[in-house]
Amino acid sequence: MAENVLKRLKEAVLNYDVEGAVAVAKEVIETGFDPLIAIEQGLGEGLSIVGAKFEAEEIFLPELMIAAQAMKESLATLEPALAKGKSRKVLGKVIIGTVEGDIHDIGKSIVATMLTVNGFEVHDLGCDTPTSKFVEKAKEVKPDIIGMSALLTTTMVKMAEVINALKKVGLRGQVKVIVGGAPVSAAWAEEIEADAYAEDAMACVDVAKKLLSK
Amino acid sequence: MNPHERLMAFLEGRKEDADRLPVWCSTRTFTLDGMKIFDAYWPKAHKDPETMARLAAGVYELTGNENMSVPFDMTLEAEALGAPCEYFEGKIKWISVKRFIATDIYEMDIPEDPSEFAKRGRIPVCIEAIRILKKKYGGKVPVTGIVTCPLTSVGGYLIDPAEFHKYMIKEPERIHRIYETLNPYYAAVANAFKEAGADVIVFTEEGASLDNISPKHFDQFVKPHLTELIGMVKPPRVLHICGSLISRGLEVITSMIDCGAEAITIEERTPMSEARKIADEHRAGYVIGGNVDPYNVIHNSSIDAIRSRVKKVVADGVDMVSPGCDYWIETSTEHIREFVNAAIEYGTPPRWKKEED
Repeated sequence: MAENVLKRLKEAVLNYDVEGAVAVAKEVIETGFDPLIAIEQGLGEGLSIVGAKFEAEEIFLPELMIAAQAMKESLATLEPALAKGKSRKVLGKVIIGTVEGDIHDIGKSIVATMLTVNGFEVHDLGCDTPTSKFVEKAKEVKPDIIGMSALLTTTMVKMAEVINALKKVGLRGQVKVIVGGAPVSAAWAEEIEADAYAEDAMACVDVAKKLLSK
Repeated sequence: MNPHERLMAFLEGRKEDADRLPVWCSTRTFTLDGMKIFDAYWPKAHKDPETMARLAAGVYELTGNENMSVPFDMTLEAEALGAPCEYFEGKIKWISVKRFIATDIYEMDIPEDPSEFAKRGRIPVCIEAIRILKKKYGGKVPVTGIVTCPLTSVGGYLIDPAEFHKYMIKEPERIHRIYETLNPYYAAVANAFKEAGADVIVFTEEGASLDNISPKHFDQFVKPHLTELIGMVKPPRVLHICGSLISRGLEVITSMIDCGAEAITIEERTPMSEARKIADEHRAGYVIGGNVDPYNVIHNSSIDAIRSRVKKVVADGVDMVSPGCDYWIETSTEHIREFVNAAIEYGTPPRWKKEED
């Protein structure tokens, strides 16, 4: 039975079956199976395979986006049932968003998804995110990393604004900042005193892991 | 041969007649130098036909690049379907949509009659600009009309791309419905461009590369609908897709060719030698354009590096030398001129005439 649930959860993710994954998640709760094991060994295993397949170009954006949705919706069922004091193991907490004035969302969503499937807890603020929202969310969830994306040369400056706002409220020292997006470069990251630049989603996962192991 | 005669020879299946390879930009033609010299700045050049024509022709006038094309961005059709656009008055910025307004075809603002569609937004500006260009340059320098195809246009500017991509798996009929509904409207834009005097229509479908979707989804969604769209427009037609088209044993070059255009153009992430080989195996001698990196090479490299890259692309079997996408806006006139000159030098005579000698 236990094995069956884990296998079915993993397979639902691998089959891009959102409703199927949620149905198994509900079954986990109803049968009293440990939700933490379901998350880590069912959902988690399915997702790490999805991540590896995306990296190997065996699957593409549509598949990645659906798998991420399957995970998000099953987690919404499983996480509230976790025993007090217990939480799923995460590599770190990440807040991510496209900066204000910029509605380019897809690249940032890929990064968020790849961070998630690789074991990070990701809070995606979406696109056109005001600086104040980055700061408020940082106060609330106490992230290890803040990721910012900009696809326009004119909105890149907002990244510096967010970093300065974090300094003002005394949070800058507690988080690592990663920046990315088409016009963004390592030189820009250095100029605005971000901790790192990531060229694409896979690079961001590597950079995030490195920053947290320091 | 003049630039018009030469490009037409390639697009009309008589490349053997050509004295050398054409060198053009298969996507959009504008530079900052052109804006300054011809007083044709954005956003005015998006909205005023005379200014649009001056900017489009500017690259030819300054560098000898052998075509001129409109519009200058990818939001033209999406705006005409209701996407709210920001023009950034007083700044030189790409037009951007303010928000995504739709989740399905029913939420878009579609006129009943496709011919009405060509009267919307900036489409009449482009039509008038093409008339102006045709009058001045007709028969001498080719005029290109660009149509951004439904997948890219809708999935990039009308529907949130993260959601749009999920429909491919969860609700494929929604994607089919979007293409099927919009094809006659996008064809009406292309045909209006042609009637105004465009010598060639370039269909761009940037969202369909291997960076985004699988070859399976390409064949399921893109190929049948682009074949239909391209079939609604008289030749010559070119299909351009930016991004990676060959990767790790996968390719969509053959499917692109099957869409029925007279030529395809590709960017630098797709290796020309491999594209040439795949194309020749599928349809020997099929016309391919591309694929010199407009940013890293033409804009950002030395003249020597630009020349050696052009030489390599010609040796790899390109038919129509082109940047992989629009010239980067800040590229110097000198760099584009050197790129054009190198293409003329290495493209004369074309390789099939060399082989005869």
